[in-house]
Amino acid sequence: MSVVLAVCEQRNDTLRKTSHEVVTGARRLADALGGPVEAVICGAGAVQGSDQLARFGADKIVTLTSAGFAKYAPEGYARAIADRARAGGYGAVVFAASATGKDLAPRVAAKLGVPLAADVTDVTVEGGAIVATRPAYAGKALLKVRIAAKPAIVSLRPNVFTPVERPKAGTVETAVTAVTAGRVVVREIKAAEAGALDVAEAQIVISGGRGLKEPANFKVIEELARAFGGRAAVGASRAVVDAGWRAHADQVGQTGKTVSPTLYIAVGISGAIQHLAGMRTSKVIVAINKDKDAPIFKVADYGIVGDLFEIVPRLTVEITKLHG
Amino acid sequence: MKIAVCIKRVPDSETRVKIAPDGKSLDEAGVKFVLNPYDEFAVEEALQRKEKAGAGEAAVFCLGPAAAQETIRTALAMGADRGVLLQTDRIPADGIETAKALAAELQGGGWDLILFGKMAIDDYNHQVGPMVAELLDLPCVTAVAHLDLEPGKGVAEREIEGGIEVVEFPLPAVLTTDKGLNEPRYPALKGIMAAKKKPLEVKLVKPGQGAIEILAMTPPPERKEGKIVGEGPDAVPELVRLLQVEAKVL
Amino acid sequence: MADAFLPADHQPPLPVERLLLKDGTEGAGDRMELDVLIVGAGPAGLACAIELAKLGKAGGVELNVGVLEKAEALGEHALSGAVVNPRAFRELFPHLKDPDFPFHGRVKKEAVYVLTADGRWRLPTPPTMHNKGFYVASICEIVRWLGARAEELGVNIFTGFPAASLLTKGNAVVGVRTAATGLGRDGQPGPGYTAPNDLTAKVTALAEGTRGQLAQAWCQWQGVASPNPQIFALGVKELWETKRPLDRVIHTMGWPLPNDAFGGSFMYPLEPNLVALGLVVGLDYEDAGLDVHVLLQRLKLHRLFRPYLEGGEMVEWGAKTIPEGGFYALPNRFSGDGVVLLGDAAGFVDVPSLKGIHYAMQSGIFAARAIFPAVKAVDPAARRLAEYDRLVSHSFVGRDLYRTRNMRLAFKDGFVLGAMQAALMTLTRGLFPGWRYTIRADAAKVRRASQSSPGGPGTPGWRPGSAEPPDGKLTFSKVDAVFKSGNATRDTIPTHLIVGKDIAPEVARFYAAMCPAGVYEAVVPLVGAQHAAPLLRINAPNCVDCKATDVVGPRWTPREGGSGPKYKRM
Repeated sequence: MSVVLAVCEQRNDTLRKTSHEVVTGARRLADALGGPVEAVICGAGAVQGSDQLARFGADKIVTLTSAGFAKYAPEGYARAIADRARAGGYGAVVFAASATGKDLAPRVAAKLGVPLAADVTDVTVEGGAIVATRPAYAGKALLKVRIAAKPAIVSLRPNVFTPVERPKAGTVETAVTAVTAGRVVVREIKAAEAGALDVAEAQIVISGGRGLKEPANFKVIEELARAFGGRAAVGASRAVVDAGWRAHADQVGQTGKTVSPTLYIAVGISGAIQHLAGMRTSKVIVAINKDKDAPIFKVADYGIVGDLFEIVPRLTVEITKLHG
Repeated sequence: MKIAVCIKRVPDSETRVKIAPDGKSLDEAGVKFVLNPYDEFAVEEALQRKEKAGAGEAAVFCLGPAAAQETIRTALAMGADRGVLLQTDRIPADGIETAKALAAELQGGGWDLILFGKMAIDDYNHQVGPMVAELLDLPCVTAVAHLDLEPGKGVAEREIEGGIEVVEFPLPAVLTTDKGLNEPRYPALKGIMAAKKKPLEVKLVKPGQGAIEILAMTPPPERKEGKIVGEGPDAVPELVRLLQVEAKVL
Repeated sequence: MADAFLPADHQPPLPVERLLLKDGTEGAGDRMELDVLIVGAGPAGLACAIELAKLGKAGGVELNVGVLEKAEALGEHALSGAVVNPRAFRELFPHLKDPDFPFHGRVKKEAVYVLTADGRWRLPTPPTMHNKGFYVASICEIVRWLGARAEELGVNIFTGFPAASLLTKGNAVVGVRTAATGLGRDGQPGPGYTAPNDLTAKVTALAEGTRGQLAQAWCQWQGVASPNPQIFALGVKELWETKRPLDRVIHTMGWPLPNDAFGGSFMYPLEPNLVALGLVVGLDYEDAGLDVHVLLQRLKLHRLFRPYLEGGEMVEWGAKTIPEGGFYALPNRFSGDGVVLLGDAAGFVDVPSLKGIHYAMQSGIFAARAIFPAVKAVDPAARRLAEYDRLVSHSFVGRDLYRTRNMRLAFKDGFVLGAMQAALMTLTRGLFPGWRYTIRADAAKVRRASQSSPGGPGTPGWRPGSAEPPDGKLTFSKVDAVFKSGNATRDTIPTHLIVGKDIAPEVARFYAAMCPAGVYEAVVPLVGAQHAAPLLRINAPNCVDCKATDVVGPRWTPREGGSGPKYKRM
């Protein structure tokens, strides 16, 4: 029987949501291997929300506590997780490919002398071996790799393993460890700089193109962005940036910024390849355009044909209702 | 300051990916290879630190094929002092093997800093830097976007979800560099000329096979055919419903 | 709106004040001294560099040879058909065999067709167009291969450094100044600014390629004329991965070109399922609405081409002009004090055989043989470098161009008459007609104004069911085409195009139709409910350096290094 270790994360003693994805991925792997899932979190004490992990399929939830573990401690965490992995004879160790997971997983892998399949989008068991799929070349190809090591270490690409409820017993325990923080110390976490959201980082991007007819009309896009409550940034096509309607920093496309938000809304943009190159990896694409033959509709998941000056304000109203 | 920079030769980010007949690798016909963009930040940082210190060395190390000499020359043209190519025809898919080859070379070099790009734009592994740190038992900070150094220690900032982590570490250390750390310089004409005369040592290496095997390389799935929800503003409520229920993004 | 116009009336003069600088002019950063400086890493420049390095080695002289190239990497601004005559390769690399050269297949089968909108007639291959024994090749690959050979021999190649001005001293050329990088849109230094560099050399070889700015400026400055003005054609080319293999070299004439245009198409197999396809049209056409890019899109729908392309993928797109004037458009001399002109920059292209690469390389080899003793003697005076002129004139380069001296020119009055005269010339090995056709420069040819929007009904080659709008599978818009050229020029550099003032609507349309990269757009602004006259909008970053509109209108100037296309296998 092979146990799968799911390495979860906390910030300010509270479980991070990405941990639900980690346990979901671990559960999937454990089912294929026929074993239980053990979730492990490093912290200074009790971690709020850790008991929820049972809902997503954790058979056991362990908090490894140490005085130096309140904030992420790269060396301490790596030592504690590696010690546990070594002792427990796990079949696999699953991380999130989050900022922390990307830092932590390779350290643990190196301590154990095993490989790491990073940023995977799928993980299965084929003929007894763990097989992972991971993007390469900026997502222009997928690599299917077999991991011939025990434990097999994988980190899961965020937002891919949608949490699935698979309630398990989820016994909760706390294990005090003597491991200290180590030489590398996180002194503080600063809030990201305030101000307008960058298109490259926003979860939601709403871009406008020539269909807006004149620069002042960008206000309909800005109003829609505001309706999303600070999660949305305003982008622009090259045509309107060249025309001087918007700043170059807002340009989405091959010669501008490459974005992959959860939701991309293209308003009055026809969809030249050079624009598509900058946004086609967005999770969900919505197009609003008056020309039903516009190429943007070929990459959009959802489209509305018609006058953007009627459609966008209505959308703003609906989104405001949702968030209101 | 004695600084080592580990760099990689990768296909240009605009490369059109075509899969080779073996079904497992990139067809390299017509592909342009460049210095990994994240490694440019590492090279630039090394040069700035050395210039600031007024003395020392910036040496570049690269595991790769014979053609990677060109990649090393690019770093030398930017201003690095010397290069070492750990030459192999095959870069293992398993990052730990690359890390072992580099660590063996860097061991005992007396480096104040060992720099890497935070990841290579071909394999997206983002792991070799911290692995080398573990193998050499050096402190390590990854994805550094801001850096202050004092004698014997440093403070780095790295971007995390919704914030910036401020990290203290002692020197010597391994750092991996992210966008924003600096603005990499273009090689100047004089730098390109000088690079030809700088030492570039080639050492044949045989990295281990590793425990990761590539079974297949495939194109990403085509986006599934989208749907026109409707015409005009009356289609908006249905769009919002689909985004909530079907796409689950609201 | 005028029915006809003369492009020259709207063309700004060549900016010689920018292109010629007295050595020592302020504003440069680094200064570097070389023995020989070659401007342009194409087949001509690299062949010259290789031959020089070999002569230096053989003569025990250490020569410092530098090659400046404006593309970010070798070959990225090179575009050609191309079927290559290997003779210059054999001369430059006597110890290598044909299979060692960077060629694809040897031409075994070829076919020439005259097309109509729906049909085709196969013609016997004209003697000048025989290609059997030659090789299909990608000039990008040739350039990368030549560059590697040159570097092995110790030549310094500086990619990403365009030569912006000639440095002069008295009547002599003493080097060049490169273009600055990191300028903002307003022309002021921005972050990452690097000042221009001055490179000086005993001899500067101008191998800039078609419509070379420095070569033009030098000819103008030194009063070097030619019997006829140089004329140009524009070639637009696509590279396709096809499902259906192609086993032969194909050329076509006729449709979709109007009768008053000279040109034709080609389709070559680089590999059985990798096909180069292009359309070349002389820029002396009458109808100002003619659009070579659009014509190529239409051509692909013809039943001769469509079956090969359907289900395939267009992987690269590019455009470039070709100097087509031939023998009588060559400058009266190719050398002067401290300078030689090579390859396309001098005009060494033979139109009837559709070849230029081996002439370019051969000119580079000859130039090296004249430069080497001059540099060794530290005497780069014109009279020493004139040896280059002699070598060219007494070789196959001079002889071939002389034999076909009138063939392209005969087509100035239309295709049918031209074809008949060309046949007579071939029969008499060039003796017919016994006189020199006089021609006008492309900018001096009167154009018939087009009332139609570019590519729309009424423009040449249009018929119901034409390729508009492009479907993104078989046919492409200019914007998408530019994307496929790999062009990722920084959007915030200053414009590199000098455009005349108050461009009339018919001229704006002419530029918009001619430019294959959508740099020029004739935009019709709405004024109240009425359509106003079109304005000229300029999307400078789109430019792929083909130089077509430079020939008849706005002047192209060198911009930041690494700008422009990034051709891989054109």
